[in-house]
Amino acid sequence: MNIAGWCKNILNSTFLILQDGTKTPGAVLACTDGAVLPISQVFDAIRELGNEGVEQRDPLVLTSATLLSKLPVDSSSVDFVILIWLSVDCPVDQLIQEILRVLKVGGTILIRESSQSDVGSFDKIISDLENKLLLAGFSETQVLQSTGIKAKKPSWKIGSSFALKKVIKSSPKMQIDIDSDLIDEDSLLTEEDLKKPQLPAGDCEIGSTRKACKNCTCGRAEEEEKVLKLGLTAEQINNPQSACGNCGLGDAFRCSTCPYKGLPAFKLGEKVALSGNFLAADI
Amino acid sequence: MHKLLILYATQTGNALDAAERLSRLAERRGCLVFLLSLDQYDPSLLPQEEAVIFVVSTTGQGDTPDSMKVFWRYLLQRNLGQHWLKGVHYAVFGLGDSSYQKYNFVAKKLEKRLLDLGGTAIVERGLGDDQHPSGYEASLDPWMSSLWRMLNMIKPEFLSNGPDVVIEDTVLIDQPKVRITYHSIENVESHFSSASDLTSLNIQIGSARSMHPGKSSSDRSRPDSFLKTVKNLPLTRLNSGKDVRHFEFEFVSNALEYETGDVLEILPGQDSAAVDAFIQRCNLDPDSFITVSPREMDDQNAHHSSIPVKLKTFVQFSMDVDSASPRRYFFEVMRFFATAEHERERLQYFGSPEGRDDLYQYNQRERRTVLEVLDDFPAVQMPFEWLVQLVPPLKTRAFSISSAQSVHPNQVHLTVNVVSWTTPYKRKKKGLCSSWLAALDPRDGIYVPAWFHKGSLPTPSPSLPLILVGPGTGCAPFRGFIEERALQSRTNSTAPVIFFFGCRNEDGDFLYRDFWLSHSQNKGVLSEAKGGGFYVAFSRDQPQKVYVQHKMREHRQRIWNLLAEGAAVYVAGSSTKMPADVTSTFEEIVSKENDVSREDAARWIRALEKCGKYHVEAWS
Repeated sequence: MNIAGWCKNILNSTFLILQDGTKTPGAVLACTDGAVLPISQVFDAIRELGNEGVEQRDPLVLTSATLLSKLPVDSSSVDFVILIWLSVDCPVDQLIQEILRVLKVGGTILIRESSQSDVGSFDKIISDLENKLLLAGFSETQVLQSTGIKAKKPSWKIGSSFALKKVIKSSPKMQIDIDSDLIDEDSLLTEEDLKKPQLPAGDCEIGSTRKACKNCTCGRAEEEEKVLKLGLTAEQINNPQSACGNCGLGDAFRCSTCPYKGLPAFKLGEKVALSGNFLAADI
Repeated sequence: MHKLLILYATQTGNALDAAERLSRLAERRGCLVFLLSLDQYDPSLLPQEEAVIFVVSTTGQGDTPDSMKVFWRYLLQRNLGQHWLKGVHYAVFGLGDSSYQKYNFVAKKLEKRLLDLGGTAIVERGLGDDQHPSGYEASLDPWMSSLWRMLNMIKPEFLSNGPDVVIEDTVLIDQPKVRITYHSIENVESHFSSASDLTSLNIQIGSARSMHPGKSSSDRSRPDSFLKTVKNLPLTRLNSGKDVRHFEFEFVSNALEYETGDVLEILPGQDSAAVDAFIQRCNLDPDSFITVSPREMDDQNAHHSSIPVKLKTFVQFSMDVDSASPRRYFFEVMRFFATAEHERERLQYFGSPEGRDDLYQYNQRERRTVLEVLDDFPAVQMPFEWLVQLVPPLKTRAFSISSAQSVHPNQVHLTVNVVSWTTPYKRKKKGLCSSWLAALDPRDGIYVPAWFHKGSLPTPSPSLPLILVGPGTGCAPFRGFIEERALQSRTNSTAPVIFFFGCRNEDGDFLYRDFWLSHSQNKGVLSEAKGGGFYVAFSRDQPQKVYVQHKMREHRQRIWNLLAEGAAVYVAGSSTKMPADVTSTFEEIVSKENDVSREDAARWIRALEKCGKYHVEAWS
């Protein structure tokens, strides 16, 4: 079939599938969200993938790809998928999942972003796209200078065990920071390290050891507050005495069982001043 | 010369204290010590070191302190290989809190990595625990003993005084780190005479804070801006058990640009009476003009390097006299300036291993302030140099901004929880900054010194679908997100937002109730009609506790649908457990909605994090 006749066919229909999606080795699928796709763009992209002999292959071309909910292609049957994307919005996740499905293991996707928007938003689109690819289960993503992005279908599928080696930070400065050369820091921890630390027994007792967290939500802080017994008689306040001699010196010198704990220093025999911040409901 | 390198990573100052103590004790043993924060040290030099001690804190979410992030990334590089640290002797001491799942993760990971890189451990790692009755020092002291013993065995040339040093108890052998220079009034007037009120204030605050020895290299001493209070409104009902306020501030001096999700840092004012009481107690002249410089700096430089400020100004803006508790070293030094026998004995006891627990009870558990301690030891007279070094530095407090500048052009809003509690000895205490803010009145004309910086919550673009989880004051940054998106939606289409809020009682502490409701009705950005949602968990309105996690589970399909559309997740709030519980709930949802195992769902969530779509800002 010559090129002219082929182009005429495209104009006449919304979907055009050139040939069957047969399981030929080195099968290539080209998709676009546009209605038309010059075949030269497809071949350019194939050449960019750098495989010799690719020109001999017959690429399958799908146009208006956004209208499809499923690709009419068998699973794991395609070596290369070329996505020529015109719109500013990212391809939806469903399409990306479908591409992942039809690709063979080790197959490559090449996405060419050809929207007319300026460089700034291009970088952002690429960064979003990269995230989408990673989350869908692609690996080895590679950004191609001002043209698009490439990725591989890994030999595992999403859901089986894998370690994400790539780290992407999509920062507002539009830098894509790929930390593929850092080890996974969580691998430094042993089983023992990961076990929840043992807290001392009897932890919920309101005692002198364990204290309520600053932002206590379990109610312990309020319980501690309630354990308010002053434990001092009027006599002890009006005529304080001290066998050890230290009670009047202030908290720094009192022992842990001192009934005057929390009160200011006083002179023996003189009434103890209950300071303003003690027991007062409001300050 | 054999040099011992001590590297620390501190978030709130604890690791710094521990590192300084380690440094002092090493020096007393005749060791040459270099003490540096990890962000002051070039990691590529590590292989050249003979001996390195790391003192590192783990923050609440198991993360490294900010000052360690770059260093840690360097260490994680795969290409360093397993012989990179061959010949380097190391030891690690970690500070953490065992009530957190990720207890001391930073120290644990660091130690393993150093080992994998070929380093040789001097001693096993030491782990300090905040939950221990006397805090991290309970682990630090015994760990240090083994450290000196082992170091002396493998490298005796390091400790020229030997591993066990008997300190002459009657003499303070350390020297203060700073020196104070007093200036005559004539030389000083010129700085302030022509300056306006605000400029003068800016200079004074900048000078005081830059001179203080506790200043960290990344701090900006001069405030970015001054704010004045426009509104101070309660968001909670009286007697509901919580006091949360809504603040609206206006820029007084230069207005700055900020984005939603940014953080506002505030320098709280100190009670004037407390500052005066401190100055009087320490026999200082409040009106003398001073500059503070490192002790080693010579006279010429000391005299000219900073702008002199009044002593009272210096204390007011850089020394925390009536809120933060001093450290153990404060008590150690105090002992040498105690003129009364019983005070000296008590201080000696507090500084000893036997008295450590009692000191912890008296000081840290009670949140004893410097003023209270000085009042309890009335016969102690400490020179000002030591006071400057040992009184805790006055710290700024950070808050998530709760407004969008596009909606309120010259303003910044905050949502502040006014903190108060009762100590074990039944004394009532208040948070310094939140109480100061709570007392601000628009009519009093008080200027609020403020700094702006980015937090952990990047501003979302309008086309990014959002899942927000923010119980309590965690809702603050999201108020900004939502009012901004509401504005954007008037001109362009915006992506949906689902917001999960939580509080105790619907009629007690339902913060910004009308605001959220107005946006979740009439096709607002939070409305279900627009693909969004607003769901509230009232934890105490029924016998069983209902938290945001429960609400999230109720709406898991919505959550998954939005995640599949590429939504980003933001979690904010004040809690130790909430962020972990929320992450766990997301994992559960992903697992159930996709019929995959929990482990795979967890990996998927971690991938979200690494892609920059899962953000947590948690504060305590």
